[in-house]
Amino acid sequence: MRKLSTAFAILVMVSMVMALAPAAMAQGPVKATPGQAVKMVLLPKFLGNLVFDQAHEGALEAAKELQNPEPLQFLGPTPQDSVAGQIEIVTNSVTQGVDAIMLSNNAGDQIAPAAKAAREAGVTFVTWDSPIPSAEGEQVFVAQVDFNETGRVMAEMALNILGPEGGKFAVLSASPDAANQNAWIAALKEVLKEPKYSKLELLDIVYGNDISEDSYNQALALVDKYPEMKLIMAPTTIGIAAGAKALQDEGLCGVEGQEPKVVISGLGLPVEMVSYTLNGCAPQFALWSFRDLGYLTYYVTYLLATGAIKGEIGERFEAGRMGVYTIEKDPTREKGLRVLMGPFTIYDKTNVEAEAK
Amino acid sequence: MMMTSLRRSIRPEQIRELILVLVIIALVLFFGTQVEGYYSSRTFTRISTSIAILSVVAVGETLVFLTRNYDLSVGSIVGFTAFFIGTQLSFYKDIPPLVAVLMAVGTGALMGSFNGVLVAYGRVPAIIVTLGTMAIYRAMLVEYPGNKIVQMSALPAWAQEFSRVNVFQVGEFELRLIVGIALAVVIVFQLVLTYLPFGRRLYAIGSNPEAARIAGFPYQRIVFTAFVLSGALAGLAGFMFMGRFGNLTVVAALGMELQAVAAVVVGGTSTMGGVGSAFGTLLGASMIGLLDQSLLRWRLISEFWRDALLGLLILLAVASDRVIVERLRTLWARSELQLRPSIAPVPHKESVHGS
Amino acid sequence: MVHSTISLPQRFLNWLRSWEGLLLGLFLVVLTINSALVPAYLSVSNQVNLFILFIEKSIIALMMTFIIINGEIDLSVASLMGLSAGTMARLFELGAPSGLAVAAALCLGLICGAFNGFWVTVVGLPSLVVTLAGLIAYRGLVWVLVEDRSITTLPAWLCELGQKPLIGPFPLALLLFFGFAIIGYIILQYSGFGRLVYVIGINRDVARYSGVNVRRVKMILFIASGFIASLAGLLYAARLGAMRSSTAEGFELDIITMVLLGGVSIFGGSGSLRGVFLSILIILNLRNGMGLAYLSANVQTGVIGLLLILSVLVPNLVSSLRARMVRHRELTRALEMAESS
Repeated sequence: MRKLSTAFAILVMVSMVMALAPAAMAQGPVKATPGQAVKMVLLPKFLGNLVFDQAHEGALEAAKELQNPEPLQFLGPTPQDSVAGQIEIVTNSVTQGVDAIMLSNNAGDQIAPAAKAAREAGVTFVTWDSPIPSAEGEQVFVAQVDFNETGRVMAEMALNILGPEGGKFAVLSASPDAANQNAWIAALKEVLKEPKYSKLELLDIVYGNDISEDSYNQALALVDKYPEMKLIMAPTTIGIAAGAKALQDEGLCGVEGQEPKVVISGLGLPVEMVSYTLNGCAPQFALWSFRDLGYLTYYVTYLLATGAIKGEIGERFEAGRMGVYTIEKDPTREKGLRVLMGPFTIYDKTNVEAEAK
Repeated sequence: MMMTSLRRSIRPEQIRELILVLVIIALVLFFGTQVEGYYSSRTFTRISTSIAILSVVAVGETLVFLTRNYDLSVGSIVGFTAFFIGTQLSFYKDIPPLVAVLMAVGTGALMGSFNGVLVAYGRVPAIIVTLGTMAIYRAMLVEYPGNKIVQMSALPAWAQEFSRVNVFQVGEFELRLIVGIALAVVIVFQLVLTYLPFGRRLYAIGSNPEAARIAGFPYQRIVFTAFVLSGALAGLAGFMFMGRFGNLTVVAALGMELQAVAAVVVGGTSTMGGVGSAFGTLLGASMIGLLDQSLLRWRLISEFWRDALLGLLILLAVASDRVIVERLRTLWARSELQLRPSIAPVPHKESVHGS
Repeated sequence: MVHSTISLPQRFLNWLRSWEGLLLGLFLVVLTINSALVPAYLSVSNQVNLFILFIEKSIIALMMTFIIINGEIDLSVASLMGLSAGTMARLFELGAPSGLAVAAALCLGLICGAFNGFWVTVVGLPSLVVTLAGLIAYRGLVWVLVEDRSITTLPAWLCELGQKPLIGPFPLALLLFFGFAIIGYIILQYSGFGRLVYVIGINRDVARYSGVNVRRVKMILFIASGFIASLAGLLYAARLGAMRSSTAEGFELDIITMVLLGGVSIFGGSGSLRGVFLSILIILNLRNGMGLAYLSANVQTGVIGLLLILSVLVPNLVSSLRARMVRHRELTRALEMAESS
């Protein structure tokens, strides 16, 4: 009887090894083991922004799939105190003994000391949406899209809207020290050097500080400042919506059946942009899914915190419904690793209504 | 003799307003040479609409300032009411515009009355109350149930069109409705301050709260009313804000309290109460708005230099205004003395609080 | 003096009933709740952290106490923090020697403070207007200096000083804070200069007529405020290890909240550094406890706003209630006496 059971045990073990071996040999994607307890904090730039709420929903979806018994904490600073608030939350989370922090960084390199302290305390530290530029204290960055690609997509949309003869345009950004926007604008400037985009001329870069009032006024000031300008490119969801409203209010984008003088494009949320796209003020704009970004970030962090992956170049893993991803070197920063989500969705008259529903 | 009667009929405060008007004209003339197409109805529309909302808030702030108090919660009230009305309108699209305005004004007045009760009846200093409610109202906005963001596309058609409506149009020249509302508010409150007993009492209380109390003015009721009106005007501004920007986030009108305070003090209202006017505040808001918007359009100035210049210019404008008014006042007093040597000059309260 | 006729325990009781006694009670409540609910709260590292997270604001709040007691206000401090940190970072980036960069930044603080002081004392503008313009202009200069970049080339020794403990578990900034608190307390409460600060705050005209050099006192205060703000800016940059244009934006209102909760009157003339110190302790511990309990930052600010109001409202209500009770008691006693006679 005993012999039999021993034999059976050996048989089971052998079959398990056999089952595992090919996967290990072929470097198959790592799968998460559900049900492990990981205290996780999702830290957006600040509370009360639709895109971060969407990311939160995505993370909750992943948390449910992974059956993490620990509740996900969604902690964010107030908009007026974002940098100091993010540092405070990271520091307090470490004190509180959380296992992992997922940060959409709004503090640039100023978060690095707090992030490093968290790493030293053994906390898994992942960034999403916006990385730590120096990558210090961060294990991996879950990139929504390739940051260089963002420049190309903006140039492409500008060319689509202005036609082959091109034209002059200006950029309406978020705040001057917004790391993402600055990286995207730098990429745009690079792309514009290519012969394909030689007809596009970038006139100016102005900042609306991601505040509707400022962005609205900046858009109209651009129109007055550069009468020859045909397009505003706003790589920020708040800027593009406020700018579109300004152009529409001033009758600049052909609302009353006139020839449009100036239109807007950039990165926008379909629900906010749908009416402007349909009336021609914002013929084309792009974005990615923040819900998916939250979902993927949760998976990556869970895998890192449970030790299933180490955060090294070349590691492949499966992130639930979104499929297989690989950790790679981030080509847009000197140091740092990333998981690239992508791609962009370009919205225009044909698809914006369906997405806005 | 004619000079004397002229001197008698004009108060130094009016001279101050005149100086502000001159500064504004000088600015317009200067930027006219710098900005292409500056003298156009288009520029007027764009700059005037950008000042309108702030002017309404600042008039309310003026009333509070007159009683020697502050209201730092107005930015949060504007943000909250804009958000509240926006959310309501996107749920109940058949709310008529007038009802929506009344709802906004009412919400603002309610928030203002909370400030007012605490300041007037709870005897808590206004800066403490409104620093507190500034945080509380903003927190209420962020925690407000329902959608976290107001989308323009969800608003009823009239609200989407609100910011394009004109009061009248003569050729190219348009007077936008939101500018019209702001002007109406300024005129109404200028009249209230000049002719109604309530207005005169505001000045009396601000000049000398103790004396006003002893003289039997209903001090608490007047201060309370000032806060309610400030809140109500912030609520109205919140409605205008919602109509103008459509898409609202939780940062709506963040920091507007300091802009309003700047407009009020640049407009000649004393931080020690008792001196100021709604018209002066309009001028203050116009000067700052004009500077800000013109610097935006000035090609010579890079983005990064704008705020440094703005701060310096505000300081210079206030200082030159101050110096000229002081000089004139001395002249006034001296000529009064020469004419009627028997009467000792009454020291003006401004100069008492100076230096 | 009046005090000598009252016994020591009586004086202590009176103090307990004062604003500071209230603050002390409040602080003890916060302390008890925090340590009961959050296990990690009492750890040394957390106790240091809770100071460090707000240390620059706390240092400036000490100086702001002087300014507000003097009947003025300085709204430009946060912009000045950014300006001096930006100047230092820019100089480091250009390869200036360490001493020069730090000294230049601190000198700039002195100059900007004197600039504020000039408009207030010489031209006679209200400090609210001057420092509001300063808030805009100094921040504008930071944008000019740092533009859209993030300067990370701060020297290692500076970051070390900002982030690592200097003596025991205490970093430099924390030691400076306690040092300033003690020095400030002695100056404000026991020196002739401190008395002048109060006297001018109570009534500047009376002070002037009685021969006090009001301008000089105010000028000194604004220069000191500029210096402390720029020092705090350097400490902040050292702690964060990098510099961006928006650094310390919006700190001014938090700082003023700390001072006002400490019982300093916005109209000048009353308040003490003891009260402000207690108020800093309360705010820091409260925020820390709420943060560790995962309350959202938004709720935290709301709670502090509410606390600010209640801290004045409740004592007011209590004292008016007590006055009414006393009146009622006297009235009934008078009636009883009238009846018995």
